[in-house]
Amino acid sequence: MLSILRILIGSIFLVSSLGKLFSPYQNFLYVIQAYQILPSWAESLTAQIFPWVEFFTGAFVCLGLWTPWALRGALLLFGIFLTAVGQALLRGLPLESCGCFGEWIHLKPQAVFLMDSASLLLSAILLYNISRARKFSLDSYFDHGVR
Amino acid sequence: MNKWQSTAVIILVLIGLVAGAKFFLAPKKTDINVQMARAKGNPQARVNITEFIDFQCPACAYGVNYLKTFFDKHPNDIYLQVRYFPLTNMHRHAMISALYSECAARQGKFWALDDLMIPQQSQWAQLLSPDPVFQAMATQVGMNTSELNSCLASDDARKAINDEKALGQSLGVGSTPTYFINKKMVVGTKSLQDELKIYFPDAK
Repeated sequence: MLSILRILIGSIFLVSSLGKLFSPYQNFLYVIQAYQILPSWAESLTAQIFPWVEFFTGAFVCLGLWTPWALRGALLLFGIFLTAVGQALLRGLPLESCGCFGEWIHLKPQAVFLMDSASLLLSAILLYNISRARKFSLDSYFDHGVR
Repeated sequence: MNKWQSTAVIILVLIGLVAGAKFFLAPKKTDINVQMARAKGNPQARVNITEFIDFQCPACAYGVNYLKTFFDKHPNDIYLQVRYFPLTNMHRHAMISALYSECAARQGKFWALDDLMIPQQSQWAQLLSPDPVFQAMATQVGMNTSELNSCLASDDARKAINDEKALGQSLGVGSTPTYFINKKMVVGTKSLQDELKIYFPDAK
């Protein structure tokens, strides 16, 4: 059950990142600019690098590879998302869509805040129950199958 | 192969898969047909801008007003073409506003209607149906209402709008406003301002 949850959490990042990676980075740059959280010089760099960070976090969580570190990465990313969306909601920024999943899915920031909060909690549960979360993972293959 | 080596291989495979998919899915580089667009300015201008717009998009309205100031200051240095990109899943009046604009374009009244539609965007966007407001605008700019209503009822204008949206999607457009400034894609008004500063260093 926890392995399924692990794969679900990883899949969220994979879908989110692929939506951004398969679209010109300028589209995600526009999303970042709407949050008004980064200095201008950092926005373009973040728009090009961040989707790859999301992608590898998602892939490693799904595959169960270096799972504790991947889940810590997931927690950090969810924390970043919650901070970005939360400050936008508090400041009343005119966000029509969170931009979280690129051009594939449009979600209202309020819905994303709830979703990310739940995902953060689930990731923490997985990290707390890491031995069970690592069932059916590459980690268990390397830990038990390869000497 | 130990775990570290396997990790390195997996990373390389994943990068290869994504890079390969990006290569096949990359937006096609194609010239946007000038004759099809709603255009104004100097066709020989050093700054050629194609804008993909949703008329209910607030950022697009800001962009329209921003570009107007450029036309006032640099009338011979900019050539602007407008293309439709209605975000129908986010803006309920995106398509109807585009239809009125296209039907106005067919009567040579695109820019006149644009001058009324954009400043009043926040008002008509709240309405359940903006048709009465758009009809009044059309009358105000001197459009033939019989031709207008025939145009609105036909599939031709809607197809033209959807074709332009499909063109935009093939170029990687996903949000509005998206601009192609001398073929370089920029999204949003902040990036528009940053890019125009390259050509107009005194711009604010």
